[in-house]
Amino acid sequence: MLQVRDGAGETLGVLFERYHAPLYNFYTKLTGDRALSEDLVQEVFLRILRHRQTFRDGTPFRAWIYQIARNARIDHFRKTRPQVPFEPEMAPTVTPGDPAQQRQESELLHKALMELPEEKRELLVLCRFQELPYEDVARLVGCGVATVKVRIHRAMQELRQIFHQLQAAPAGSTQRAAAQNLPPRRVT
Amino acid sequence: MKCEEIAGLLPDYLQEGLGTEQKKVVEGHLESCVECREIAGLWKKLALIPDEQPSEMGRARFDAMLQAYQTGRRDEGTARRVDRGASFWSVFQWLRSPVGAVAWSIVLVVLGAYIGMQLGSAKSSSQQDLAAMHTELTNMRQMVALSMLQQQSASQRLEGVSWTRREGQLDPQVLSALMHTLRYDQSVDVRLAALDALSRHAGQPQVKKTVVDALQEQQSPLMQVALIDQLVEWRDAEAAPGLEKLRRSPNLNPTVRQRADWAISKLN
Repeated sequence: MLQVRDGAGETLGVLFERYHAPLYNFYTKLTGDRALSEDLVQEVFLRILRHRQTFRDGTPFRAWIYQIARNARIDHFRKTRPQVPFEPEMAPTVTPGDPAQQRQESELLHKALMELPEEKRELLVLCRFQELPYEDVARLVGCGVATVKVRIHRAMQELRQIFHQLQAAPAGSTQRAAAQNLPPRRVT
Repeated sequence: MKCEEIAGLLPDYLQEGLGTEQKKVVEGHLESCVECREIAGLWKKLALIPDEQPSEMGRARFDAMLQAYQTGRRDEGTARRVDRGASFWSVFQWLRSPVGAVAWSIVLVVLGAYIGMQLGSAKSSSQQDLAAMHTELTNMRQMVALSMLQQQSASQRLEGVSWTRREGQLDPQVLSALMHTLRYDQSVDVRLAALDALSRHAGQPQVKKTVVDALQEQQSPLMQVALIDQLVEWRDAEAAPGLEKLRRSPNLNPTVRQRADWAISKLN
């Protein structure tokens, strides 16, 4: 990143190779929209080019790039309200040979995740799927590490409740519009 | 230990950030508490949600964006050099002095002799210059098209599509961007315009493949009918299985199904 900051734009290709898939997954798990996720990933790398001078030596790069990713999404939803909370096509890709029960659980979990309020879902995606340390997440969302841990615990409690409701309800009857959840406040 | 006390340790336990002692405490609690055990279990099960693979178009779009950005910076650099030219004003003043006048007179004589010697080959070099200018203009148009295809506003993306129509031969990156627009643009109008622009590039095998793939992906009946008509116009017999698959889709619009039947009969 230091090379990119100092003008070697072509080095950005290496960062793209390393981060575009994780960022894409960050967005698909948050928005449930593949096309939008692709657009937002492009936006992140454009912003890296534009704002590379703001990167400080010694800053954790992953936290910095996710800060940009977060702001890009918030700016996008400031212009357009989310319209696609969960596309059926966004159900997890099933690899041949998956046991049926595991597939069903995976689908239910994905639905439950999409039904979590936006802020809780984002925390889980950052900590669980992107595997960011709580310290980095705290810096990202602008609160203390202890607060992040409390919120993670609450998010998991709520996920558990939704998961149970989905397990009890007939398929397709419990979709709650995640579109009603507003994106979190931007932290700069 | 109570759940409230464990709540402070559980997130660290989930990220495997506890020491041996504390880990034992949490695990002891999990054995007796169903709710906390389920939470820990769910955390592990979240791994069942697999990662998605981004499309290959992403890399092409990134390369195009990087190229456009770097070209933009080079242009800025040129503009700065022009500004710096103002500082050469003093050199110009020197050229107007008697010593300077002698110097540039000599330069002019030498230049005249050189031009005279090169006159024979002047025609061919001017043709080369024209060709170079034409290539540069083409590159610039394609870059404008690429950049406009990535705009937020649908009308700007539409304009981007219309820029691509100005070129007979499209750069692979522009072609990729156009195919991406056909499949994923949010606006039906932009997707329809992209299909129209791509219809001129049927010679490229990936274009036909993209149109056939798009047939299965598009939900808008308008778009589906346009794609079917395009495949019939190309007389693309390889599209028949794709049309057949579309025709069998359960919730297909009746008009689209009728059109697909018609297309299959035309292609067979």
